[in-house]
Amino acid sequence: MIVPVSYYLVLGAILFSIGVTGVLLRRNAIMVFMSIELMLNAVNLSFVAMSRALDSLDGQVFVFFVMTVAAAEVAVGLALIVAIFRSLGSADVDDAHVLKG
Amino acid sequence: MAQINWAETIWLLGPEVILTVGALVVLVVDFVRDDDRGPLLPGLTLITLGGAFLLSFTYLGLDRTALFMFEVDNLTSFFRILATGTSVLILLVSVDYVRSRSRHAGEFYSLLLWVTLAVILVAASSDLILLYLSFELLSITSYILVGWLRDEARSNEAAIKYLLYGAISSAVMLYGMSLLYGAAGSTRLEDIARTFSDPAVRVGTLDELVLPAVVLMLAGFGFKTSLVPFHQWAPDAYEGAPTPVTAFLSVGSKAAGFAVLIRVFLTALPMFQVDWAAVLVAFSILTMTLGNLVALVQTNMKRLLAYSSVAQAGYILMGLAAYVATDTSTLNGIAGVLLYLVAYLFTNLGAFIAVIAYEQATGSVSIADYAGMVRRAPWLAGALVVFFLSLAGIPPTAGFVGKLAVFGAAINAQLYYLAVIGVVNSVISVYYYFNVVRQMFFMPPPAEGEEPVRYPQAMGLALTVSLVGTLLIGIYPQPFLDLANVGRQFLAMLPFA
Amino acid sequence: MSAQFVIFGLLAVTSVATALAMIFSRNAVHGVLFMVGNFAAVALLYVLLGSPFLAAVQILVYAGAIMVLFLFVVMLMGPEPAPLWEHIPGQRPLALLFGLLLAAGLIAAVNVEELTGVPGIMSQEVLERLGQPTALAQTLFERYLLPFEVTSLLLLIGMIGAVVLAKREKHELQAERAPREGGAE
Repeated sequence: MIVPVSYYLVLGAILFSIGVTGVLLRRNAIMVFMSIELMLNAVNLSFVAMSRALDSLDGQVFVFFVMTVAAAEVAVGLALIVAIFRSLGSADVDDAHVLKG
Repeated sequence: MAQINWAETIWLLGPEVILTVGALVVLVVDFVRDDDRGPLLPGLTLITLGGAFLLSFTYLGLDRTALFMFEVDNLTSFFRILATGTSVLILLVSVDYVRSRSRHAGEFYSLLLWVTLAVILVAASSDLILLYLSFELLSITSYILVGWLRDEARSNEAAIKYLLYGAISSAVMLYGMSLLYGAAGSTRLEDIARTFSDPAVRVGTLDELVLPAVVLMLAGFGFKTSLVPFHQWAPDAYEGAPTPVTAFLSVGSKAAGFAVLIRVFLTALPMFQVDWAAVLVAFSILTMTLGNLVALVQTNMKRLLAYSSVAQAGYILMGLAAYVATDTSTLNGIAGVLLYLVAYLFTNLGAFIAVIAYEQATGSVSIADYAGMVRRAPWLAGALVVFFLSLAGIPPTAGFVGKLAVFGAAINAQLYYLAVIGVVNSVISVYYYFNVVRQMFFMPPPAEGEEPVRYPQAMGLALTVSLVGTLLIGIYPQPFLDLANVGRQFLAMLPFA
Repeated sequence: MSAQFVIFGLLAVTSVATALAMIFSRNAVHGVLFMVGNFAAVALLYVLLGSPFLAAVQILVYAGAIMVLFLFVVMLMGPEPAPLWEHIPGQRPLALLFGLLLAAGLIAAVNVEELTGVPGIMSQEVLERLGQPTALAQTLFERYLLPFEVTSLLLLIGMIGAVVLAKREKHELQAERAPREGGAE
């Protein structure tokens, strides 16, 4: 490995901090959710870099599982966002209907 | 890898196998027989939980066995009993609640079984990977359960906030785990301890990574145990969630968080105790003080119990912060944490059961609507007083014994200021608990609500069990002390403690 | 041999730039597209680190499945739906300040010369001989059998959750359709 592991770790730290900043900055649920994915992505990068540096596979296996968990979490989270949108959104549609009628 | 002895593996994982299979059976039966209201589904769930509960006792005192990454030891046995016991009580109160509010009863019961399984897995994980996965299993199942009343905007909003806070804190925790992995070269808790206990390996850079790792991981563990400042989700989620789920979050989910704290810090990082114990003392003080102060101004019963349970987490944490490895009495901190968790289980579940029964009858969780409760439901009001006495830590109740154990541990560890702050906090908490008691006993009931409150038999049974448990621990704590002491014995089997 | 450094530099700049663009993007659709770019850059970094398998999974699962799901929901709800939290005064500068401090702290923590933990079970030769995916699969199905089973449960629960929370029942659909059709007439 030519690029030292610390380069990757520092890049991971920067990406992670950007993700945290996004979480604090945005108030829209979807953007917050995407910033969380960015944080996970940064963690994954650190894991792979460390796994390489340590000659151990545990880190890569960890990343594999993190991706699976992220998929399940996104499915549930987006279902909730859709459910909220539906209860608020359908109310809006009704309002518009009343106004036009 | 050596050949797996399946018979032995399945026997050692008995409660977990029962819970998994039971949940699948409930799901399939629900699918085949479109019968959401009959006694079949809750009955199957009860048999599953009861079986797992009873089976859990047979593993007590067994020698430590590691299966894959699942630790079969006394701490696991303790949390198996605690988790399945909690869920049995929660099941008893949710039957009526779910029937009157949701069409998806089958999915509710199978998720209740899986969330119980998740608590046990969290407590038993001896590897960061399995720990993270079980943690997420617990979290994701909880998000779904919190948002269960999907036609109520409050429940949806509570769930999405819980999910976002949860996902953030688990990402932060994961970053901490990655640092720990980088420092130690392994995800196994025991190997991590082995690395750090070897002075030849342990040089500068490793120690520099450990403290940030501990702080970052505490974000995730603190989320589950609702430590300040990771508690912000609790009031919203507690208020919006179906009340039986709230009861689970306040007991089962919190117990899982403490199991992780004990397991990770004592197995992987015993040689850094000076560092993490100092951090935990700060969290403990912050948590109990802020929880109690904010509880003073609450007007909603579920929010009051939310902040009260935040404060309780502060007291429980005191035990771990004051842990002294050389002390083998009950006052060594860990036994105190475990004893407090049992006392808290009966007390807090009892309080929630009374709240659910009253909510089912009156449709309200506002403290103002508890006015004159003693005339409408004298039995419920009386039980609630006992639970509040216990939460405030007044004898002869379970809460008193629990507080005695953790405050005693703090004094034993010469953390006198911590014990004093704990006592001052308990005095503050008396004020808001007794504000509710005053409403129930001395305020006139509203003109229209005079008819007596009725609740189903299952709920009455759960209430009685909680009440008996709360008083029994207060009057005759010996069997529960023994249980906590067996749970603590896993410490003796740690190779690097 | 400095080619690796150049590639790393390019990918690092790309990933940081797309990440920043994502958190500042006004339009959620743009945000999703920047995220896809970020995932792709990180996937290439995985290749650089010798994990082509994870790179492929990253593209398939993250860029392919998860981000498409995000895009789908964004399209359903419009680019800027109602915020979930109230605006706190001074949130922006405070968030930026906190982000900078966190970055400084974390960089100071992780900027280590080398990781000195115990060497892993997989030496470089073993890794290369087995071929990376094979070694990963072997670890996954032997040492990590139990976590693997937990994942299957997790995905099942995710599925149940999505169905229970978002699926509309027949009578709800009818109730929803009826007033709209009435309105159109």
